[in-house]
Amino acid sequence: MSLELVCPAGTPSALRAAVEAGAHSVYCGFRDETNARNFPGLNFSPDEMIEGVRFAHAHGAKVLVAINTFAKAGAMDAWKAALANAEKAGADAVILADLAVLDHAATHHPNLRLHLSVQAAAATPEAIAFYADTFGVKRVVMPRVLSVEEIAKLNAAIDVETEAFVFGGLCPMTEGRCSLSSYATGKSPNLTGVCSPPEHVAYSEDKNGTATRLNGFTIDRFGAGEQAGYPTLCKGRFMAGGKTSYLFEDPVSLNAASLIAAFAKAGITALKIEGRQRGKGYVTEVVRTFRAAVDAIDAGSTEVEVGRLLAGLVEGGRQTSGAYKKAWR
Amino acid sequence: MAEHFRGELPRLLRILAAPAGFLPLGPALTLAVRRFAHRKPAVFDRLGEYGKCSFLIEPSDLDFSFLMVPDGVRAEVKCMRGRTSQPADVTVRAPLLVLLGLLDGTLDGDAMFFNRAISVSGRTDALVALRNAIEDAELTPADFVGATGGLGKLVDRSVIGGLGLARRFTGSPISGEPS
Repeated sequence: MSLELVCPAGTPSALRAAVEAGAHSVYCGFRDETNARNFPGLNFSPDEMIEGVRFAHAHGAKVLVAINTFAKAGAMDAWKAALANAEKAGADAVILADLAVLDHAATHHPNLRLHLSVQAAAATPEAIAFYADTFGVKRVVMPRVLSVEEIAKLNAAIDVETEAFVFGGLCPMTEGRCSLSSYATGKSPNLTGVCSPPEHVAYSEDKNGTATRLNGFTIDRFGAGEQAGYPTLCKGRFMAGGKTSYLFEDPVSLNAASLIAAFAKAGITALKIEGRQRGKGYVTEVVRTFRAAVDAIDAGSTEVEVGRLLAGLVEGGRQTSGAYKKAWR
Repeated sequence: MAEHFRGELPRLLRILAAPAGFLPLGPALTLAVRRFAHRKPAVFDRLGEYGKCSFLIEPSDLDFSFLMVPDGVRAEVKCMRGRTSQPADVTVRAPLLVLLGLLDGTLDGDAMFFNRAISVSGRTDALVALRNAIEDAELTPADFVGATGGLGKLVDRSVIGGLGLARRFTGSPISGEPS
């Protein structure tokens, strides 16, 4: 196997769908603030995680448990429990970001394989070496601000595996450092596991279309028939300099399928599909399509057609290769 | 927006479906949901406090709507003719085939929202919780009629096959395809 396909699962049924669609690995989290997709009704109880790992292993797939929010000072019990429950379930690795959680895992769960979450935003050989030397981290998920060439250079300078996002929602900010959601709602993906928590999101319709509000702030308005995006501030439309536009980023999804061969050449170990908040329909379609693409590249193809196949699943109806092909630096 | 979305039932089918609004759909669906709650209580645990919220489901191509409180074994479903001003915590509006696709997991809720195939208003947190609980429920048509064993498989095969045909016939979106 040349490239490992790491796929999202927000529920046990999504985990089964991902495995049956060809995922090499599935990542998921517990139903609390210890993971960065802490949405109502989503995620796994400890018992569901045990059953999920059993199912995945029976089908030759791995389970990586995301415990990737930053622990609250003086209140680490939830993160400690998550680590213990991941080990008890037989998880193949845990995906961590917080120094205290990494330290606790390395000290009290030495048999757990540690992956560094994108939330840690480790993008230099020095930072990655620190996590590897100090806690024994074996894999680092690459921040989505690096080009393929930068990742190749990084891989040449480090001794751990790297994992890169290949499809799905795209954060324009450096992960783990973004506080936009906190300014509007008091909650963030970093501390509570939610960007634009749904209890603060409201949609309303009038003759001009649909308005999206976040805690009372209108952050976008879609005309009838216009493609919509997620209700996040980074993808909202605002007026500046007398002009209304997407100030930070257009609503658009990452699709780096055309770069799969380049990723392999750059020394990347695993490709990650974003979307633990998405349904089984998305998981099945995206995983099946990317598994075929990875297998085709493995068999010697140089390019694969993925964009057209998944066009109906992407945010804003648009796709980008993001920073992987950036030309502005 | 949803009024002109492709995938809505053709006019003839709408006319044929209209008498369904006079059937006792509410009590039948109430019974089906309660029976399902007995069989799979974990689905309603996933909903948590949101089980007490009210959800108004409006098929945009039919002249009746459903008001549901998915409170496990105390669940209630009411069927109402015409467009109602019934207050609800959440309102979801979409063509019938899209709503059924979301119910059985064939379609992805976010994708349908991006494509404007569904419109929502009210408590987004309750809607997200319901969507995730339904996603994990792995509902089949047999669950709604309480059929099990060979009969259940027959019901599933027939209804799923029929829905597939209906989607192709009406141009209703399928997962991964732009609308």
